[in-house]
Amino acid sequence: MDIGFIGQHLVNGLMQGMIYSLVAVGFTLFFGVLDVIKFSHGDVLMVGVFAGLTAFFGLDALGIENPYILVIAIILFSTALMALLGIVIAKILILPLKGAPPLNILLITLMLGTLLRESVRLFYPNGSNSKAFPAILPTDSFTWGNFSLRLDSVMLFVAGAAVIVGTYTLINRTRLGLAIRAVAQDEETARTMGINFGFIVLFTFALGSAIAAFAGVMNGFYYNEINFSMGLLLGAVGFSAAIIGGLGNLYGAILGGFLFAGLQTLAAAALPFSSSYKDVFAFAVVIALMAWRPTGLIAEKAYARV
Amino acid sequence: MTNRTGLIVENATTGYDSADVLYGVSLNAEPGKITCLLGSNGAGKSTLVRLILGLTPARLGRVSFNGRDITRMQTHKVISEGIACIPEGRMVFSKCTVEENLLLGGYGEKDDALLTKRMKTVYDLFPRLAERKQQLAGTMSGGEQAMVSIGRGLMSEPSLLIIDEPSLGLSPLLVKENFKIIKEINERGISILLIEQNVRQTLAIAHYGYVLTQGKVVAAGTAQELLKDETMHAAYFG
Repeated sequence: MDIGFIGQHLVNGLMQGMIYSLVAVGFTLFFGVLDVIKFSHGDVLMVGVFAGLTAFFGLDALGIENPYILVIAIILFSTALMALLGIVIAKILILPLKGAPPLNILLITLMLGTLLRESVRLFYPNGSNSKAFPAILPTDSFTWGNFSLRLDSVMLFVAGAAVIVGTYTLINRTRLGLAIRAVAQDEETARTMGINFGFIVLFTFALGSAIAAFAGVMNGFYYNEINFSMGLLLGAVGFSAAIIGGLGNLYGAILGGFLFAGLQTLAAAALPFSSSYKDVFAFAVVIALMAWRPTGLIAEKAYARV
Repeated sequence: MTNRTGLIVENATTGYDSADVLYGVSLNAEPGKITCLLGSNGAGKSTLVRLILGLTPARLGRVSFNGRDITRMQTHKVISEGIACIPEGRMVFSKCTVEENLLLGGYGEKDDALLTKRMKTVYDLFPRLAERKQQLAGTMSGGEQAMVSIGRGLMSEPSLLIIDEPSLGLSPLLVKENFKIIKEINERGISILLIEQNVRQTLAIAHYGYVLTQGKVVAAGTAQELLKDETMHAAYFG
C-alpha cells in the first residue's frame, strides 16, 4: 500500500464522515427538542440538492458564470428552501401530533419521505435518471508523490467543518441555543421560563433541514452526480450515526458520522473483499456496536445533550 | 397602566382527558401579599398552577392578571405578563450550569446589563450559587438546587411569583430556611402565591389562604382565621 492510496481513502473518508455527521446532527436536534425521529430527513436532503440544481439551471440561463456566485447561490437557495420545508413539516405534521404515540410520527414521516422521493422522480424533468451536479468548484490539485489533493475537496471539507462549528456555537454559546437545550431537557419547565416552545421547535426543524440540504449539496459537489433516491442511504446512515453516538447528543452525532465513514473506508481500502461490501460491513459493525452499547457510544453526559 | 388587581381565578374548571380535577375554583392573589393555597396530595393544587400558567387549558372559568385576561394565553405570554413560577420538585435544568439556569429564568429579558444586575441580586441572596456558577445544576445537592430554582424564579423580576411545594423533599432545617427566604422575597414587593401542604409554617408567613380539597375550595380566609377554621382541620386531619 502506498501513501497515495492511503491518502486518497483518507480524504474520501473524511469527506463522507463530514456529510454523514451533518445529516446525523439533524436527527439528533429533532430528537433532542421533540423526542421524535423524522424519517423523511434524508429525502429532505435530496429535495434540497434538486433545489440547488434548479437554482444552478436558473442562474445559468441568466448567463451568470462566476463559479463563486453560483456556488453561494446554490447553497443559499437550497438551505433556505429546505429550512422553509422543515418549518412546514414541523408545523403541519409534527406539532399537531405532539400528544400522539411516537410511532405515528415515525410512520407519517416515513410516508412523507416516500412522497418527496416519488414526487421528484415523477415531476422533476427526467427525474428518474441520475443528474450531473455542476462541477464548478476549482479543481486545481496539490500533489505530493502520487497523492493529489484537490482544492474543491479542501473547500468542501472546510465549509462542512464551519457548519458544524457554527451549529455547535449556536447551541452552546447563544441565548437561542440555551433555549433549545432547555426545551430538550424539560419542555414544560422551559415553557414556564417564558420560552416560546412552538418557535423553538420550528427553528430547530429549520436548522436541521438546512444543514441536511447543505450536506446534500456538499455531496453533489463532491460526486458530481445526484439522483432521486440518494436520500435513502444518506438518511439511513445519518440515522445510524446519530444512534451510535447516542441520539440527542451533538458530539455523538458528529463522532458517529465519522465512525461510519471510517468503517466504510476501512472496508473499501483494507479488507480483502470487494469495496461494494463497504455498506454491508459498516452496517454490520453498527449492529454489533448497538448490541454492545444500546444507548450509544457516548453515555449521555450531562452537558452533551442538546 | 394596568390596574393592580393581582391574580384572579374565577370559577375555573379543568382536568385531564375526561376527568375533571378542579371544579369551579375561585381565588385572588392580591398584589404585595403572600397568598397560600393549602391542600393534601391529589387536591388539585398543581393542576391549578398549570391552569394559571396556561399549561393545562381551562374548560370553564376565567383567569386574569392585573386586569388582563390570561385564560387562553400561551405559557410564554403568561410569563411575559409578569408571572414567574418555581415549580414543584425544583425542576432545575440539570444539564445546564447554575448561571445558564439563571439566564433561562430571565429569558424574556433581552438587556444583558439588566440580567447581570439581577444575577448579582440572586448571588447576594445565595452566595453559594456565586461560588458555583459554572457547576452543572444536576450535580448539586437538593438544597442547592432549591436555591437555583428560587434564584431562577427571581430573574424575570416578576410581579407575582408562584411557588409550588417548596418544602417537598427538603430537610426541616432547609424548609425553615426556605420559608424565611420566601418572606424576604415578598418584603421586596413581589406578590406570592404559595402552594403548600405544610400548614403551620405556611400560615405563619401567609397573609391570606385558601384550602383546596378534591378540586374545590372548601375554606378561605386570613391566616389567623384559617388556623382556627374547622373546615380546614377537617380537610386535613379528617
